Amino acid sequence: MSSQGGSSEGGYFLRADRITKVYSDGTVALKEASLEIHSHEIVGLLGENGAGKTTLTKILSGLLPPTKGRVISPKGPVRFASPREALDFGIGMVHQHFALVGPFTAAENVALSHESPFSRIRLPRIKTQLEALMEESGLHVPLDVPIEKLAVGEQQRVEILKVLSRDVDLLILDEPTSVLTPLEVDELFTLLRRLKSEGTSIILITHKLKEVGSITDRVVVLRHGEMVGDVRTSEASTERLAQLMVGQALDEAGDVVELSTEEIPRKAIRRAVDRTGESVLRVENLVAKGNTGEIAVEGVSFDVYGGEIFGIAGVEGNGQTELVESLTGLRRTVSGSATINGTNILGIDPRKIYKLGVAHIPEDRWELGLVLPFTLAENAILGVHRWKEFRGILSVLRWGKINKHVRQLMERFDIQATGPSAPAKSLSGGNQQKLIVGRELAKDPAIIVASQPTRGLDIGAARYIRQTLCDMRDKGRAILLVSADLDEVLAHADRVAIMYEGKFMDVCSPDNLDRERVGMLMGGATSEACKEAE
Amino acid sequence: MSGNELRPSSRLRRGAHRTLTGLHPVFESVIAGTVGLLVGAILMYMYGFDPWRAYFALIKGAFGGSYELSSSLARATPLILTALTFSICLRAGMFNIGAEGQMYMGGIASILIAYFVLPRGLHHIVGLLFAALAGAAWGIVPAILKVTRGVSEVISTIMFNWIARWSALYIAIFLIADPLRPERTLSIPVTARFPILVRGTDLSYSIFVAVAFALVIYFVLWHTAIGYEVRAAGLNPTAARYGGIRNKRTMFLAFILGGMGAGLAGASVTMGQPPTYAIFGGGSLTQLLNLGFDGMAVAMVGRNHPIGILFAALFFGGLNAGGRVMQFYGSNPVPLEMVRVVMGAIVLAMSIPELIRLFPMAKAKGEQFIAALKRSTKRGERGESA
Repeated sequence: MSSQGGSSEGGYFLRADRITKVYSDGTVALKEASLEIHSHEIVGLLGENGAGKTTLTKILSGLLPPTKGRVISPKGPVRFASPREALDFGIGMVHQHFALVGPFTAAENVALSHESPFSRIRLPRIKTQLEALMEESGLHVPLDVPIEKLAVGEQQRVEILKVLSRDVDLLILDEPTSVLTPLEVDELFTLLRRLKSEGTSIILITHKLKEVGSITDRVVVLRHGEMVGDVRTSEASTERLAQLMVGQALDEAGDVVELSTEEIPRKAIRRAVDRTGESVLRVENLVAKGNTGEIAVEGVSFDVYGGEIFGIAGVEGNGQTELVESLTGLRRTVSGSATINGTNILGIDPRKIYKLGVAHIPEDRWELGLVLPFTLAENAILGVHRWKEFRGILSVLRWGKINKHVRQLMERFDIQATGPSAPAKSLSGGNQQKLIVGRELAKDPAIIVASQPTRGLDIGAARYIRQTLCDMRDKGRAILLVSADLDEVLAHADRVAIMYEGKFMDVCSPDNLDRERVGMLMGGATSEACKEAE
Repeated sequence: MSGNELRPSSRLRRGAHRTLTGLHPVFESVIAGTVGLLVGAILMYMYGFDPWRAYFALIKGAFGGSYELSSSLARATPLILTALTFSICLRAGMFNIGAEGQMYMGGIASILIAYFVLPRGLHHIVGLLFAALAGAAWGIVPAILKVTRGVSEVISTIMFNWIARWSALYIAIFLIADPLRPERTLSIPVTARFPILVRGTDLSYSIFVAVAFALVIYFVLWHTAIGYEVRAAGLNPTAARYGGIRNKRTMFLAFILGGMGAGLAGASVTMGQPPTYAIFGGGSLTQLLNLGFDGMAVAMVGRNHPIGILFAALFFGGLNAGGRVMQFYGSNPVPLEMVRVVMGAIVLAMSIPELIRLFPMAKAKGEQFIAALKRSTKRGERGESA
């Protein structure tokens, strides 16, 4: 770290002055939050989901107007009517959820942020510029492929490139590392350090304590929209930060609430899984193509037995999505076989696959898992709407029975909503996911395919869903858990496969793995030290 | 949850049941209607007419008595059915512009029952069946093109409207023309005519066909598993596929149901509109003309809900019936052109909320189209250079 954060005590680049934000639905996202950003400094913005981190940065980057309070530059108060104005001022933000135009290529997306609506778009120039920038930053993406065909991780890289290409003075990154490999994270951090030494201010939103310690100069902690701490990183211990972040909250059981996903304890006792009999799911040499036509799953074989959680870890975009889609009837495969209790599941309708006892908790709950404008009840029967229980003569839906079923689900899975007729989009992310989990488990499945089941959820909901999956495992169901959250997989899976570029690097018991080794495997480094579980 | 909670992309909000102002849809429609009336009033005032008396004439002409109300209802009848055509397909995620052509075909098919002798009642049923089947059949080709080849239903149905128009005209003039009165087709035999509901008006029992069809569609969409699948596939095709729903089947089904509605609309004119009970070929199919397109506006105002459409159609029927009265009422005759302008303002204002709601959907379609175009041109370029 070449310069210390406080080197410019007197001068600041930008100051948020007692900003309050109340959303139109009455949610108070920020309460008089103040923040000062200097040049030559990386500020970590720490807080749980819903603490107001994103809201604060959206206000700084011109995406949202503050309800009260001002943003002040040394030259006086500033007001950004749009992100474009903020960009012109030198503030750029990389959002957690990308602001990219799907059918456009990376180069075209960058061009969008560059040009005024009336100027000619010079794609070749932008491409050369981008290629130079990719070389410099180490963030590589295909420039000529439509964004919607890229993996999530690649899309994020485009977002970072987009902002970097604008020569910003203040770079805001919202949870940038969640979809990157450890190696890519290192590269990103190197880049951030260089930008800092060149005078750029950086705000890094995160809930990972480790990242805060390794890269930031100063940490600002938000809790429920209030600033609860502003400390020099060198003077703050991890424990202190975690405490600031979550407060002294206790959960129902009286335990201190988990501080972050990294704090999940490894499961001390693993149940012995009987793998002598027939497996529930058997996959052999499965090959499937991705959206761009490249081979995404390259000859994967594995078995999942009843009573075990088979975890697939790995950085997103290494074929996990395609693998799950192949197994759930949503994607055509090239070759290989997959059977559930001996019955083939490749190349047949999702409906028939469900009949074989497959439950699927999809990766994308808005695009796949739910019909957002539908009510809770309508969503709760998606995929089971043809059940005899819910469908009478002439395929008439029995709403009475359905509503009763939904109320049971709401109770059993602790779904907070006004009732069965509440629109699904009015539910919080955690409750939406609980609804999906409840619906899928109500199928009484033989195997549960859970893809990123806790992504974007707050700690309480995530913990609940993990516990539910463990309960199902204990009941003898087979569970295929695909997650980019390494700790989640390591803590809960009985066996772990690490997926890299469409192949399994290794299949072993998580007890034989430590984070560093997994990190290497996820990044594609082969390791002899990882022993087969059996 | 706070606003921090991850928000779905605009693509996902497509088709959401949000309203423009966040108010209840019915209330919103009333406000929009008021705004439309106001704009119409300002226009009339600008051109020197008395808006008060003109609107008084409009309302009196539309709902002022049993004769007026009856003629409003009679005009509403085919509009209910063509509006349903558009709405069903929209609920399934498609823009079916083909109600016009499907309605022509239904009208022509219903005329064919003039060649049979059947008892009263059965003759009605056969006529309606013919019309419904013809309408549905006319929707099948665009539906097949859409499902198998991905042809945009907007384009194919518009083209099919023209094919239907000239074919219907040809059939009406050359094949089923009345030998005694060649300017029109054979007339529907008495045994298949819908009886007049209110003596001295043109309101017949065909209105019950329209209302029943609307209720059936409502029931199918919201109370059967099939309708559930159609709506799910329309709102989020990906999630529907995940839920084991065969999207192609729902699209096909929606087209068939919609085509039946349009076909029945044709029959409701031929079998239920005195005095001729026939189609005037004479160059333009006068009685049927534009009922399909007007139905789209009715669907918008009725917010694509079968029950909403019933009221919207009555509103449109009232505008049509009352608009005529505006032209010759008292000392304040408003010329036909002005009446049309005022009606346009009202309809436009009432459609705006639904149009805006649909816009993201239209935008997504446009983007897809442009992307496809781009890809194909790129491929072409590459091919040339190679």
